[in-house]
Amino acid sequence: MVDLSFRRRRMQDLRKQPGFDQIAIACMFVLYAPIVVLVVFSFNDNRSVVRWTEFSFRWYAAAFGNDGIRNATLVSFQVAAFATFFSVIFATMAALATTRTPAFRGQTAAYAIINQPLMVPEIVTAVATLSFFAILKRLTGVTGIGYLMVAHTVFCIPFAYMPIRARLEDMNLSLEQAAADLYATPLRVFWRVTLPLLLPGIFAGAMLAFVVSLDDVIITLLVAGPGETTLPIYILGQIRRGITPEINAVSTLLLGLTLIFVTLFFFLGRKRT
Amino acid sequence: MTRKRHRLTPVVVAMGLLAGSPVLAEGKLNIYNWGNYTSPELIEKFKAEYDVDVTLDGYDSNETMLAKVKEGGTGYDIVVPGDYMIKVMIGEGLLAEIKPNEMENFKNLDPKWVDVWWDPGRSYSVPWQWGTTSFTVDTAVYKGDINTLALLFEPPDELKGRINMLNDMNDVINAGLRYLGYERCNGNVEELKQVTELLLNAKQHWRTMDYSTIEKLTSGDVDLSQNWNGAAMRAREQRPTLQYAYPKEGFTGWMDNVAVLSDAPNMENAKLFVNFIMAPENAAMISNFARYANGIKGSEAFMDEAMLSAPEIVMPADAPTPDFVQPCPQETVDLYNKIWTRLKQ
Repeated sequence: MVDLSFRRRRMQDLRKQPGFDQIAIACMFVLYAPIVVLVVFSFNDNRSVVRWTEFSFRWYAAAFGNDGIRNATLVSFQVAAFATFFSVIFATMAALATTRTPAFRGQTAAYAIINQPLMVPEIVTAVATLSFFAILKRLTGVTGIGYLMVAHTVFCIPFAYMPIRARLEDMNLSLEQAAADLYATPLRVFWRVTLPLLLPGIFAGAMLAFVVSLDDVIITLLVAGPGETTLPIYILGQIRRGITPEINAVSTLLLGLTLIFVTLFFFLGRKRT
Repeated sequence: MTRKRHRLTPVVVAMGLLAGSPVLAEGKLNIYNWGNYTSPELIEKFKAEYDVDVTLDGYDSNETMLAKVKEGGTGYDIVVPGDYMIKVMIGEGLLAEIKPNEMENFKNLDPKWVDVWWDPGRSYSVPWQWGTTSFTVDTAVYKGDINTLALLFEPPDELKGRINMLNDMNDVINAGLRYLGYERCNGNVEELKQVTELLLNAKQHWRTMDYSTIEKLTSGDVDLSQNWNGAAMRAREQRPTLQYAYPKEGFTGWMDNVAVLSDAPNMENAKLFVNFIMAPENAAMISNFARYANGIKGSEAFMDEAMLSAPEIVMPADAPTPDFVQPCPQETVDLYNKIWTRLKQ
């Protein structure tokens, strides 16, 4: 309690420091001005993404009518949904194993291995995955989008793992111990006590994993096979030939979707606490 | 060993289930081309004519495509590498010798594109689109003769600080070599020193080095930009005073070519596609979408009016022949890299 009020006072002081408002506004501007420009030009009735003529929904119509964009969006969501689902399961298991067990030998090594995709430069993982999958494809003859989904799951795990582990570490053990005292089996404790308490962490992890998967360029670029172009790869492919406001339109829609997600989770989270 | 194998099995099985059964590739064709470069109508027409299911994916550079293809088993049938990349890929055995020169529609190919250095006689590839790399100037800003590289390297006052160069080592250094009248792929250290000085001195007049030429020009950020002819045409449609230069010192030509991978799962369909795009009406579809010339005789009859009259696409009779630059030996590339690093500092 003492600690909390102290923290609050310090935060108030910080806000009153000279220049705080100006720096905050400058940061907000740098962060959001480009996005505003992007949104504005998605409504431009012109092929240019820099010169305004007049308002139109033309590029939204074009984006919806564009097979390439439609397919890429669909692939992106499929891959992100798969990667989120499985990475959250693996991350939850890993988080339980690293917080609900007595310290074991090699625990630090386990952390390092789980967080490996964060440490290793992405291009290294990408090239390694490319070669590994090429060998696998030759040996098994199996091809398909499964490879891309597995690759995404792997690098999503640490992003899902961090908030889940943080939540587990913050949770008081006494509730779980009380349940065990009342003869609940470990499985029952997990389903009735640990998991409900853990849900906000899992939601946060899932959101992070989803966004990271949706965003990924380098690994996807090298791993994706025929018909597996995701939205970022599609956009990247346009650069050499000139970007059209179609891309702005798609980005604006994605932005809207993200906003809905974030708001939704905000209200869900508030109800819970 | 056995334990390890057991652990891998479920993963492989899971992948197989996810993948469905794309191993049996019947009536399919997988195209891997530069992004936003393939006419959707062309694909629709091919689908309808041959009852083949087509997937289309885009890449952003020859090198990305090569990196994937080299590992093998990509599942792609058709790729569209640039001229030098065709030569590299033939050398590495990555392309199938499909003999387009024995195909029905080969007669439509303009003879000047048959004996090219990257595929003499056309045993592996056929043209997709070709173009030139030169520069665009706003003639409302600069009134003088634009057909000289002097505008890039010793610009008149009105263009100083108003220039965008491509962020591309070869395009910039080759322009410098041409301006000084030296050979391309030049390993002569003395001559390269002069080029370096020329570039370093000219750099103070350059505003940016960037690939997004259309945006730079149409936003009024610059008044001169190194440019590809198709992009120059699109920029001019938005800023009519722009003009594409054919410098007397010479300029680069390039060609992207359709080729078939040696491990293509759908070899027969790929060959059908190669023959298909050599038909004039189909080649015209590609050009109408991508806005470059195609190298197929008779395709003009099916091309948009705007393209036939575009000075960027139809070269004036007195323009020099475009220079299709060959890949340079490694020692020269190393020297170029050093120059480029100094220039970009």
